[in-house]
Amino acid sequence: MSARLARAASSLVVIAVLLAAWELAVGYGLLKAYQFPPPSKIARGFVELSLTGFPTGVSLWTHTGVTIWRVLQGYVAAILLAVPLGLLIGALPVLDKLSAPLIVFCRSVATLSLLPLVIVWFGAGELTKVVLIGYGCFWTMLSNVIAGVRYVDPVLVRAARSFGLQGPELYREVVLPAALPRIFAGARMALGVGFMVIVGAEMIGTIQGLGALIMEARTFYRSEITIVGMLVIGLLGFLISSGLAGLERLLMPWAGNLDQVRR
Amino acid sequence: MTCAGNVSMCEPDATPQAGRPARPPFIHIGAVHKAFAARQGGELTVLDSIDLDIAENEFVSLIGRSGCGKTTLLNIIAGLDAATSGRIAIGDRPVTGPGQGQGVVFQQHALFPWLTALGNVSFGFRKAGLSREDRRERSLELLRLVGLEAAANKYPREMSGGMQQRISIARALALDPQILLMDEPFGALDELTRIELQQELLRIWQARRKTVVFVTHSIDEALMLSDRVVLLAPNPGRIKRIFEVPMPRPRSRTERAFNALYDEIWSELSS
Amino acid sequence: MSASTLRSNDLTLGVIGTLAVIGFWEAAVRTGLIDPSVFPSPSLAIAAAAERLTARQLGENLSWSLARVFSGFVLGALAGVVVGVLAGWYRRFGLVVSPLVELLRPIPPLAWIPLAIIWFGLGEPSKFFIIFLGAFFPVVTAAYQGMRGVDPMLLRAGQTMGLSGVPLLLRVAIPAAAPDLATGLRIGWGLSFGVLVAAELIAADRGLGYMIIAERNAGGSVGVIIVGILLIGALNLLTDAAIGVAIRHWVGRWHGI
Repeated sequence: MSARLARAASSLVVIAVLLAAWELAVGYGLLKAYQFPPPSKIARGFVELSLTGFPTGVSLWTHTGVTIWRVLQGYVAAILLAVPLGLLIGALPVLDKLSAPLIVFCRSVATLSLLPLVIVWFGAGELTKVVLIGYGCFWTMLSNVIAGVRYVDPVLVRAARSFGLQGPELYREVVLPAALPRIFAGARMALGVGFMVIVGAEMIGTIQGLGALIMEARTFYRSEITIVGMLVIGLLGFLISSGLAGLERLLMPWAGNLDQVRR
Repeated sequence: MTCAGNVSMCEPDATPQAGRPARPPFIHIGAVHKAFAARQGGELTVLDSIDLDIAENEFVSLIGRSGCGKTTLLNIIAGLDAATSGRIAIGDRPVTGPGQGQGVVFQQHALFPWLTALGNVSFGFRKAGLSREDRRERSLELLRLVGLEAAANKYPREMSGGMQQRISIARALALDPQILLMDEPFGALDELTRIELQQELLRIWQARRKTVVFVTHSIDEALMLSDRVVLLAPNPGRIKRIFEVPMPRPRSRTERAFNALYDEIWSELSS
Repeated sequence: MSASTLRSNDLTLGVIGTLAVIGFWEAAVRTGLIDPSVFPSPSLAIAAAAERLTARQLGENLSWSLARVFSGFVLGALAGVVVGVLAGWYRRFGLVVSPLVELLRPIPPLAWIPLAIIWFGLGEPSKFFIIFLGAFFPVVTAAYQGMRGVDPMLLRAGQTMGLSGVPLLLRVAIPAAAPDLATGLRIGWGLSFGVLVAAELIAADRGLGYMIIAERNAGGSVGVIIVGILLIGALNLLTDAAIGVAIRHWVGRWHGI
């Protein structure tokens, strides 16, 4: 515990020293303030962004809320579609073999490359962003659900069969719980994908959302606002992924440290 | 000669043809043949004309090098794998699948990680048509039998390997099987835990009157536990020789007869 | 039935499944179930692309995209390996570097686009930078964790054979961390590729991403966009498979992937 504390303290020191050096470097004119806005300016940007907003009236919280709402819609829709479909495909080897190349390909399609097509179909509004996020999350989730149920430890399946379980019962009682860790990992990966996609998708054709915020700020040479936006995006991603990890531990206390298991 | 002393395994009847115990057969394995598709096309014969009869309440070990098909044979008796040809019966009924009185204890990591010790044992009762309380009561009783009542609410990852295998045994006993099929159940345990569990298994076997088929890599283990040791040879898997183990239990590793038999099995294994 | 025919059966099924979907798509358009101007069939899309794109245009966009992603990935991955390995090996360096990496890692590479433009302008360097980051972060993380995860027994074994310092690092620690490195490289490649497309959509005047967004901005053919998307997907798939083969060749024999 004290070792972890020491490590955290040294991390803080490193970051503090770096921030101070940065501030000084700009103060002495070694770095250009508009390219490398010093921490003090970023802090002022943060205050402005949360009170007045950028553009005026659209506060940081609005941008954040809009982004979260978009990600959430696409993500939830993708999970709701991918989980049942994945469980079905994973249960039927023939279906799995029929669909495998297609799924691999669809997963390889760069989600943002669909942007022009989706704009043609749904216009440049909200739906386009939600669809893109949904697409990215869907294939990530789908392939993880399928892999989860397909690659259950055969010993567990044999053990269950030795107790007379078979067919749907075997699937429900053993294959499904055994696949849960992988399914959860997929859900976490999918959310990461969702955040990747939203930032890109918001850079085109909108003024709300964190992606739009950082792009807009650049247009007006407000790099400190851009940096605040980036930090919020990073923080959001971090909070959500640790939240999901906590949820995993809560729901699957039996699984132990999943990252360790996978290594 | 290794046949020092006057032990019965030196009699000429200790040969594969003598796969017939004195008592009437309970598990009957006749001309069992098992082949898999090989990687480079063609077939790989894993078991070749296996004949073996096992009496009720008998403790039989299957021993042999990796690839001799002992686990496959166990899975066939368990009904988890089908023989390519041949007869296999328990009592008078041909084996068509699991659930005919076979309980299986696997190598490590076959406990369901999402269930507690109690949950795992109770899993074994799921086909018994018991009420929830009865299931719980009977499961606790089995946990007591293996000495792990206190660990009832632990998950497998929170237990040592020895504890996990005790739970596995309790889980298999939940079916109240006539036959206990064990696939190297103690192979991954340390020596001390292993000896402890061997004694425990003998105690359970004697208390509950089970027929046991036990796959192992260890000559020592086979000799400590079994009435007969079946030696299998690989490529293709076949019965090379069957040894009677006449020493009364509890056995001692330092007994002369034990060591003589050990040497004989070893020389047969390495020839 | 032997295992090899089993495997080729899997492949056959895959081909059948894919052809079925393509056939269904084609048929749905032909029978008027889907409006071809909104979602043209494969044959129509290819025809439109053949009409509107010359092979030279396509080749030029393709090579621009490839050149960008390769250069960004190679340098980003190289930097990631060097920084990650050193941070994992030299404790003090690790103490300085890892908080910075941890701090910046959650920021998706695409979020760097505006800043990259501020720093490097709208030209090639800003795109290079973004792709560089896309490769850097997964690789640096994997390399660092791989180095920290090296079995100390292996290091001690190396030491008993007289290795220490840099030779121990090069001959024991790095090979032991190679599987993690390999995984990081593969993830980094995928990310670089995704980032490439986004960067080309948002701010570029050539490349496959630019090609499709320009087509839509000009109100051109949906067919061209679809062909472009599929081409990008196929490129990603092929290169990823090539990296997979290379990795298996590199560490597969002893690591068993």
